[in-house]
Amino acid sequence: MRQNYTPKPLFVERMKELLGKAEFGRYKKAIEKPVLKSLRVNTLKISIEELKKKLEAKEWKISQPFKKNPEIFIVEGKYSIEKKSEYNPVSDGRIVEGQIKRTDLQKKLVDLEPGELGRALEHMLGYYYLQEIASMLPAIVLSPKKNDLVLDLCAAPGSKTTQMAAMMENRGTIIANDSKLDRIKILASNLERCGVTNAIITRTDGIPLCRKMKEENFLFDKILVDAPCSGEGTIRSSKKTLLMWNINTVNSLSKVQKKLLESAIEILKTNGEIVYSTCTHAPEENEEVLDFILRKFPNVRMEKIFIPVKIRSGISKWKDREYLEDVTYSCRIYPHVSDTEGFFIAKLRRAR
Amino acid sequence: MNPLKILSEKEKNEIIEKLNGQFGIKNIPGKIITRGRERLFLYSGNLGDGQIKKLEEIAFLERVGSYFAKMEESEEQIRLSIEGAQVLQNQITKNIFEIPEELVEEWMKGNELNIKTELRGFVIIKYKNDFLGTGKASENKISNFIPKNRRLKEKSN
Repeated sequence: MRQNYTPKPLFVERMKELLGKAEFGRYKKAIEKPVLKSLRVNTLKISIEELKKKLEAKEWKISQPFKKNPEIFIVEGKYSIEKKSEYNPVSDGRIVEGQIKRTDLQKKLVDLEPGELGRALEHMLGYYYLQEIASMLPAIVLSPKKNDLVLDLCAAPGSKTTQMAAMMENRGTIIANDSKLDRIKILASNLERCGVTNAIITRTDGIPLCRKMKEENFLFDKILVDAPCSGEGTIRSSKKTLLMWNINTVNSLSKVQKKLLESAIEILKTNGEIVYSTCTHAPEENEEVLDFILRKFPNVRMEKIFIPVKIRSGISKWKDREYLEDVTYSCRIYPHVSDTEGFFIAKLRRAR
Repeated sequence: MNPLKILSEKEKNEIIEKLNGQFGIKNIPGKIITRGRERLFLYSGNLGDGQIKKLEEIAFLERVGSYFAKMEESEEQIRLSIEGAQVLQNQITKNIFEIPEELVEEWMKGNELNIKTELRGFVIIKYKNDFLGTGKASENKISNFIPKNRRLKEKSN
């Protein structure tokens, strides 16, 4: 039976309020389109040029949309070779039976088959990671360096952990944490396939983990809090999100996110950086969390960030709440603006 | 679950000695960690033994580093995983089986290769610049150890 994926009225109302009526129309159109087929070259195992050659040899059409991030590929389709025969028309346009003028081989760009990206030998060998472009942005913003000690607090399934390990060239250390065993298994499998050797996987709830680390003075240069969220930004690739969405989840997640980010800030070294990200648009899960943190920690500052897609600034007001001005340094990523999934990213620095 | 063990330099050197005998490998770029007797993990990060132990007191450590090799105790040999072969590829100088192109797909589907070679025991399977894990060569075949989740799958219809 076909599922009804009509957005709930309250969701529509909130998105209209966020975007304005006219822009909401463009957003609605954008989420109907399938997401671009993007992948990230795993530079721990292969060079960008070498993988490009291998994929092009499979007749895949590859583009690299970002000059500063050539490891991001979009697979636009694959070339199919079609044989096209044309009869030789005589001068008056009539076709003479049995007479063939030429047979052309025509290259035609067609869609990849479903699952083709994940089934390819190069994927099995860990040469690339299938990752939506918006999901690559938090690690780009955090930009961990070779000798950093990094905490990826909600790491499964490992897309950002593998990305950071590649940026760090398997040096430094990433503590990749998640709380659920089934998610940890996927995380471990992805880290293994990508040849990540600088990561330690821990299985603990994020909040008590941070508390114990604080007690032991186990502090980090950089922390990624890619928080569990209501997933409004993933509608383009998963319409089921529309069925599961409800405002109570948004509100309860907001409380968890505040606790997670608050706990993580406590284990950040002086001058250390945190990237907070979600794949949702709900201000309660985004700007409200940042506003709560900035009011609670006067030594924590928002940082301006630069990312390679078109963005909107964070908002300063939602419903009856006004947020601190610095909250607007955060980035809202919308499907109709950047042609990606929806995301929210903010960077904070602990000043002392 | 078995406790985590960071191999001492002496224990690490014993592993290297075996890998040298089998494949010509002379260096492991990091710590070797075990949990249980067979599976070996490679950790290339910068935490010292003391910091790893401290972390173990704070949280449950599921993994330290990545699985790269397995001790085959009955045969006193070591079998490298796909990642092990890839990470150490520049050092591998012997017991390499250069797989013909027409057999790559069969191999990556997890099938054994019915092929006669001069090689015996664990061999690294290589196609051009790609290292495709380890097989075990006997007189008429090479057995396959590609784990299920890494095998090429037929396309689903």
